[in-house]
Amino acid sequence: MNQSNAQSKSAGRSLWADAWRQLRRNRLAMASFWIILLYLAMALYGEGVYWYFHWQDTTPPYQQTNLQEEYLRPSVFRHPFAADPGDDSSLLTDHHGSPAAPGLAARLRSGLRVLAHHPLGTDNLGRDVLQRTVQGARIAFQVGIITSCIAIPIGVFLGCLAGYFGGKTDDFIVWLYSTFSSIPGLLFIFAIAMVVGKGLLGVYLGIGLTTWVNLCRLMRGEVMKHKTRPYVQAARALGLGPFRIMFRHILPNIFHIIIITFSLRFPAAISTEVFMSFLGIGVQGEPSWGIMISNARLRLWQGVWWEMTFVTAAIFFVVLAFNLLGDALRDALDPRLRTSEH
Amino acid sequence: MYRYIIRRILQMIPTVFGVIVITFILFNIVGGSPATMTLGKNISPKALEEFDEQRGFNKPLLLGRWSATRAYQDTVFARNAGPWREIEGVVYVAGQRPEPGHIVMAPGKDYAVPLAFKLKKQTTYQWILKYRLISGTAVFRIIADDQPRGATGARPALPAAAEPEPQATVLPTNSAWQTIRIPFTVGSDPAVVKPTVSAAGGALEISALRLRRQNAHWFDSQFVFYLRQIARGDFGKSHYTNQRVAQMLKDGIMPSLALTVPIFLVELVVALSIALLCAFWRNSWLDRGIVVIAVALMSVNYLVWIIFGQYLLGYRWGFFPLWGFEAWSYLLLPVLIGVVSGLGATVRFYRTVMLDEMYRDYVRTALAKGVSRPGLLFRHVLKNAMIPILTNVVIAIPFLYAGSLLLEGFFGIPGLGNMGINALNYSDIDVVRAIVLIGSVLYVAANLMTDLCYALVDPRVRLE
Repeated sequence: MNQSNAQSKSAGRSLWADAWRQLRRNRLAMASFWIILLYLAMALYGEGVYWYFHWQDTTPPYQQTNLQEEYLRPSVFRHPFAADPGDDSSLLTDHHGSPAAPGLAARLRSGLRVLAHHPLGTDNLGRDVLQRTVQGARIAFQVGIITSCIAIPIGVFLGCLAGYFGGKTDDFIVWLYSTFSSIPGLLFIFAIAMVVGKGLLGVYLGIGLTTWVNLCRLMRGEVMKHKTRPYVQAARALGLGPFRIMFRHILPNIFHIIIITFSLRFPAAISTEVFMSFLGIGVQGEPSWGIMISNARLRLWQGVWWEMTFVTAAIFFVVLAFNLLGDALRDALDPRLRTSEH
Repeated sequence: MYRYIIRRILQMIPTVFGVIVITFILFNIVGGSPATMTLGKNISPKALEEFDEQRGFNKPLLLGRWSATRAYQDTVFARNAGPWREIEGVVYVAGQRPEPGHIVMAPGKDYAVPLAFKLKKQTTYQWILKYRLISGTAVFRIIADDQPRGATGARPALPAAAEPEPQATVLPTNSAWQTIRIPFTVGSDPAVVKPTVSAAGGALEISALRLRRQNAHWFDSQFVFYLRQIARGDFGKSHYTNQRVAQMLKDGIMPSLALTVPIFLVELVVALSIALLCAFWRNSWLDRGIVVIAVALMSVNYLVWIIFGQYLLGYRWGFFPLWGFEAWSYLLLPVLIGVVSGLGATVRFYRTVMLDEMYRDYVRTALAKGVSRPGLLFRHVLKNAMIPILTNVVIAIPFLYAGSLLLEGFFGIPGLGNMGINALNYSDIDVVRAIVLIGSVLYVAANLMTDLCYALVDPRVRLE
């Protein structure tokens, strides 16, 4: 038993190392990987900001309306005539040879002070588009991760059971997923969200409870294939229980499917959340990308292009990065696909 | 072959049943009665009850003889006296650990049970009463007696040994809490039913009171109601537009098809042509460029296509009419947007299918025998690739009926997608349920069609 474990482990390591090497060589995939990390950092920062102001019990800056600053155009540098009481203009010219050389911190502060408050502009209530976009990333990652935490365990568990036990169990699970898959996807999600009630919980449950089907089908097929492999037969001959064989022996060998599925369903979940929030059955009262789009949509016709553009760009890059990385992962982790793709 | 067809149709039944069960679980069990959600909070219980009656929500879920009625909402006096608040002489006592919360009725008075509306004719009901009567007597009357009343409505206290009138139940004295069931039948005139409680000699304490209505039979449940509705092809009535859902579906399907069928066909032709180009010049810069563009197109959100497309092409540059459903030209822009938004994924799929075929042995053989490349592509590869392509096409057909959820709303096309979104916004359960159900059944049917086509083409399938 120990030996079989050790063997499967060492084989697994080499597969992962091999896949990692493949990924490293793929420049597009690495760029996507870094973009995703950047978004993740944004989402974590957004989460921190959210909780900070939640504990402080004050209105977070991304919700503060400021009617003097509505519809500010995006600009990297502060407007030259914008008054700033704390600004000491002499600091800006010190490199011309001012005798009183300021410290590094002061220089940095003055440098930052030139930068605009709202690099991506403001919306109709004077709220900062950049901060709201960051909060949108937070919601998007929450949705992607939580729905995965719902859908992937269901898919893996049912798929393993169906594939391993076969017979009546298999019939039941196949019936279950063919039923789920025959219900039109988006409508099913919306209907669940409607029944659960507007809000993030509806989004999580709607997406999570409907998107396990594909993974379940894949897992079932793979487990069925692995069930007849010698290592599983050996484990069975050693008297191991079915659940131990399924989850300790077979699952590590087909784990790459879960990773590929995760990276490919993530962008789909994000897009669905955008739809739902846009239609008003998603996030309530917090800035999500869908809500920003639905706000910006009408302003677009008045020539306020920036909110719309930056939000759609934010969505585009994260979805693109996930799609590219997912494809690269599939090529790297699934050797059969690697040989057939040329 | 016939045996195969019959077997396949029989296999379809559990799936359709599954869909029915899932929609039932979703809308009836999880969702519960949408009456308060759709009608609002300040609606009389009678209107709510009628809403439920029409949709079968006042029945037990699966099986049962008795069901609750809104004429008298269950009261357990956990926090307050509930509907008894307004009745003079009733004192509320909050619960303290062993003692449940209850109301105390002082002796020597009649207390009319506060019913929200008249009960139904010719129906059997029962009261379930949990009470304590330490001393004295108490009577629960279903029909208030005809004796003339005083100005205040109070009658002199009953003598201790009042003989029970018809439909009156004497509550036995008991110092512990006990439950009693009082069944009664409403005659042809529901107006005379005025349940009253009266106590004499000692205070009556009530800790729970429930009213149950008897159903016609054990299977008179929501599920059976739903099944019968489906069997009749009746999908209920939209509470928002007040139209029959079947009629709404009939009205909405043509605009939806007018939008989705062109999208589907154009996209199919364009995507197949591009995929063939990719297969023909595989691994060239053209192929790689197309793949990158396809992934990029895929990553643009659907909303973005619609919003920017409508803004730029319709509003800014004025190439197309903006909004409405008056002439065929109104469909051009939505169709264009629909095609472009779906193109990325479709091209990628067909390209993979084509390339899978390109590396088969028979292709190599054909090449070795000197078949020209275009000939190979069109006569051999395309023909063999048709099986996965056809599967994809047939499976996509049922989704055409629902139209495009978002496109229709943006462009003012009165189709099923638009209807569905409105129904979601107004929590119009009957409409959403009908669209989900029909979509699923069509999908199952399309699956059956593909399998039958396979069986026609490939004899091996039949033997499986």
